[in-house]
Amino acid sequence: MKQLLEGSQAVAEAVRLCRPQVVAAYPITPQTHIIERLAKHVANGELEAEFINAESEFGAASIVLGAVAAGARVFTATASQGLLLMTEVLFNIAGLRLPVVMVCANRAVGAPINIFSDHQDSMTLRDAGWIQLYVESNQEAADSIIQAYRIAEACELPVMVCIDGFLLTHTFEPVVLPSQVEVDSYLPAFQFARSLDPARPMTLGGGSEPDNYQEYRVAQHDAMEKSQAVVEAFDADFEVQFGRACGGLVQGYRLEEAQTVLLGMGSLMGAVYDVVDRLRDQGQAVGTLRLRCFRPFPVQALVQHLSSVQRIIVLEKAISIGAGGIVATELRAALQQAGIMTPVESVIGGLGGRDLTPEVIEEIFKETASSGIDVINRFAPNHIINGEAHHG
Amino acid sequence: MTMETKEGADLHDIRLHGRGGQGTVSAAALLALAAFEDGFESQAFPKFGSERRGAPVEAYVRISRSVIRAHNQVYTPDAVVIQDAGLLRSEPLLKGLNPDGLIVMNATEKPAGVDNGFRWICLPASQIGERHIGRPLPNTVLLGALAAGTQWVSLTALERAITNHLASKGEAVVNANIEAVREGYLFTENDEALIL
Repeated sequence: MKQLLEGSQAVAEAVRLCRPQVVAAYPITPQTHIIERLAKHVANGELEAEFINAESEFGAASIVLGAVAAGARVFTATASQGLLLMTEVLFNIAGLRLPVVMVCANRAVGAPINIFSDHQDSMTLRDAGWIQLYVESNQEAADSIIQAYRIAEACELPVMVCIDGFLLTHTFEPVVLPSQVEVDSYLPAFQFARSLDPARPMTLGGGSEPDNYQEYRVAQHDAMEKSQAVVEAFDADFEVQFGRACGGLVQGYRLEEAQTVLLGMGSLMGAVYDVVDRLRDQGQAVGTLRLRCFRPFPVQALVQHLSSVQRIIVLEKAISIGAGGIVATELRAALQQAGIMTPVESVIGGLGGRDLTPEVIEEIFKETASSGIDVINRFAPNHIINGEAHHG
Repeated sequence: MTMETKEGADLHDIRLHGRGGQGTVSAAALLALAAFEDGFESQAFPKFGSERRGAPVEAYVRISRSVIRAHNQVYTPDAVVIQDAGLLRSEPLLKGLNPDGLIVMNATEKPAGVDNGFRWICLPASQIGERHIGRPLPNTVLLGALAAGTQWVSLTALERAITNHLASKGEAVVNANIEAVREGYLFTENDEALIL
């Protein structure tokens, strides 16, 4: 049934349908509504789970680490400073190859303190060993949660579903929620072969010396690389069962004979699609590519879609201070390795919640001068209303 | 650069202004839910600021016949709902309003010195709200007036949205708000509101 749901509601309902046994979290804007709703479900007996209100995000991450190691399906959610406070534990969850699913309600990081949405928090965790999926709508947020459990448990890798704070979490829009029967048939019950059990004593998280640490890290990297096929396959399965897909690793829009392609992530893509339609109506050969799976970085899929394009623009809502655009940098490396020398324009915008309106996106398509921030990165222009720049 | 074009192909874009505690964000959700009940695609979201009682709050609603993909703020609304006329002194409430746009305001008269040329509906929404809800809450009264003045959503759909969305607050709150939305609607329809 199609309902008008706030993003947080859609996420919480999708999590409930996945039957997690332990939910631990610490409240932080803009994630709190998700956890409040799950707490209510547990209190009302609508979700049979242990709900643990942790003393901090570090505690919440540690609790889900322990619970999943004991064989429980788990969930947590956070954002911004909360995600950064979890950092140490998140590296451990990934290194221990534990299938945790979490939501990052994407929010800028301080200082200066800012509660609004950009991608700096989760992108900063890009080296942690988590699969990262960036969603464009509330529907995809709900669907990606269900897929995330199946991906995590099949690959024994943690998955972070990245959902733009406020722009999705606090926005009401139409969402179709699947039934419990449908989710149960897509997502098998969690059977963790390595779960801690006093009947089968073993050590979790033992030390590693220089003679084998590197091999563990490479094995983790290999597992991430291999998970690309799983992300695609489980999205395809999802489409067969539910009649809608989430975009796999990358999702193209109007790429047929496109000469200029803008690549982006998350909820800003809706406005990009509207702009692409408008420019196509004017006869311009433009298209767009959405990077849904940022980790693992889908080199092959990106190369395949961008090999015959003349102009590539990456618009991203995060900056590696001292280096610039993160996706742009990685994309340049991927293309160069494949022998594609098309320049990649790096545009950074939407930081701290600044609105990337259709008008701004249209300007980005038009503007080609690579100036603004430094020699390789430029800022998105500001939205103009009645002749005045609008920074909000 | 021209950046004043209307975004997407939305049928109606609405911006709501109020103060923290007046139910501005709830009103936006109710309006979107009502439009959805009426068979439209819709979207509602707040302008995300610090949540403080009394501080200016903004929320937006999009109503469309096709799927709404954009997640941007509304800059060129077709209607503006103003829950506290005092905000006109400090906030640019009419910014971007379409030249033939509508203003639905909680006031008994149009304030002097504001832009003319727009259509105004003014009604004592706080008083009406207080009579039904027991607190001077103008939000559902103004939604009723907006529905009567535009016919963008039906009164039945608004009532259904209130029944579903406020269910967790109990039957008394639901009924009080249904009475409030009805009176806002009838007040406007019967020309008791100041319509300019």
